[in-house]
Amino acid sequence: MKLVGIVSEFLRGLGEATLFLFTMIAALPAALLRPRLVVQQIYSIGMLSLIIVAISGSFIGAVLALQGYRTLAQFGASSALGVVVAFGVIRELGPVVTALLFAGRAGSSLAAEIGLMKATDQLSGMEMMAVDPIKRVIAPRFLAGLIAMPLLASIFSLMAIGVAGGHLVGVVMLGVDDGSYWSQIHSGLHPHDIIESLIKSMVFGVAVNWIALYQGYHAAPNSEGVARATTSTVVVSSLVVLALDFILTAFMFR
Amino acid sequence: MTPTGQDILVRVRDLRFAFGPRVIYDGVDIDIPRGKVTAIMGPSGTGKTTLLRLIGGQWRPQAGSVQFDGADVHKQSRAQLFEMRKRMGMLFQNGALLTDLTVFENVAFPLREHSGLPESMIRDVVLMKLEAVGLRGAAALYPEQISGGMARRVALARAVALEPALVMYDEPFTGQDPISMGVLMRLVRTLNEALGLTSILVSHDVEEVLSISDYAYVVAGGKVLERGTPEAIRTSQSPMVRQFLDGKPDGPVAFNYKTSRDYATDLLGGAAA
Ligand SMILES: Nc1ncnc2c1ncn2[C@@H]1O[C@H](COP(=O)(O)OP(=O)(O)OP(=O)(O)O)[C@@H](O)[C@H]1O
Ligand SMILES: [Mg+2]
Repeated sequence: MKLVGIVSEFLRGLGEATLFLFTMIAALPAALLRPRLVVQQIYSIGMLSLIIVAISGSFIGAVLALQGYRTLAQFGASSALGVVVAFGVIRELGPVVTALLFAGRAGSSLAAEIGLMKATDQLSGMEMMAVDPIKRVIAPRFLAGLIAMPLLASIFSLMAIGVAGGHLVGVVMLGVDDGSYWSQIHSGLHPHDIIESLIKSMVFGVAVNWIALYQGYHAAPNSEGVARATTSTVVVSSLVVLALDFILTAFMFR
Repeated sequence: MTPTGQDILVRVRDLRFAFGPRVIYDGVDIDIPRGKVTAIMGPSGTGKTTLLRLIGGQWRPQAGSVQFDGADVHKQSRAQLFEMRKRMGMLFQNGALLTDLTVFENVAFPLREHSGLPESMIRDVVLMKLEAVGLRGAAALYPEQISGGMARRVALARAVALEPALVMYDEPFTGQDPISMGVLMRLVRTLNEALGLTSILVSHDVEEVLSISDYAYVVAGGKVLERGTPEAIRTSQSPMVRQFLDGKPDGPVAFNYKTSRDYATDLLGGAAA
């Protein structure tokens, strides 16, 4: 009996969230008509996550290089280090870790911002001024999040492979040849790897921003509701990102 | 005397509204005459804000109707409702200013969204509205940098920015010092006269509100207790209205939120259970 209740509650929420997604998508043209709002949002969302994404990218690239080098050196194949790091980052860790970081940093603050706007009557105030908050507030943030996610994931990958992480540890510290580090990446990595990576981060971008905005918009209009929206944004979007990653990987890298 | 036979802008008929089991309105009729200031008074938690939201079409009544200028608010499409709302201004109880915009931009917001005026004219209109509420000097501040009373004055400026047909003021005088209160009271009155507005004024400040309104309603317990001119309200003999006007805690109107358990049971309940 209780289980039925939980399941029906879950399905009701899912239906509501799906409806919300379609409303957002329908409002995207309205957001395109306000490019200034979108750019503002890309800037503030991007700024929130840029530093942690860059730092995490560096560390993860570095760890991959250390682990990869240990294994590869046993087979005398340490010149392939570059492509090992690049595969790991581009195919998996870039999109996934960026999405998780984005959920924790930008997603939670997005949910809190929208929830607070609701709790302080800013959204209903807008409605009373005959302005649709979905068009004015939600859609520009959704679009900005969709654009920001692949950009952030690319920055993550660049930091992890080239600028700091893998290159720094592999070439500078462990003495892998600089030329073969890059030429291995060049010959091993195909354009479709990059396209699939971008597809992943776009899908994650839709998921995380959808969840964050939905949680904020449907938060109970009080401080407890805002707190709950923030927490569940991080929890739900992390789980969803990991699940989607499995599904996408199963389809794309067969 | 009720405002019958006049030009009615907002006509509420047999309105019933409940939050779940809690009945807020149990069949009320309210007429808001065009061009006048109509006060809605009543104890806290009685549903005054709710009434404004019902008139604005944010919430839907379980039964009954709200007509704005002859059209049923709750039978409009979303687009029609938005058109209707361009002719309504609302001052929310807490101001509801947009926190990511300055005071200036908040007042400019409805103008930018709907008026299509050039920037220079928007600027003039905004500064005039802000001057009227005494906050032209605060134009560059953000909502978090101004006090609650100031925020409400900005919200007032914003509510009348588009010079709507109807303005709903939800407790505009709370948190105002005597001077700004006097200024705001005169402002509500002059705006009403000068722009030919219709005003609905929700407030607890009985004497002040009665002194600037043309009609008044006292609501409590889901019903209209009294309606009429300020004079008629002041001299009302209804015990409930008297209790509200004279501010007595005991009387026919319960000061406490309704509960089925009595006080003693509640207090001793912990020990007994
Ligand atoms: N979203 C809601 N869900 C459930 N109950 C609500 C909700 N909003 C208000 N209420 C209840 O409806 C009643 C009327 O609320 P309302 O805000 O209209 O009162 P009010 O007359 O404006 O009071 P005040 O003078 O204190 O502002 C209150 O008792 C409140 O408990
Ligand atoms: Mg109220």
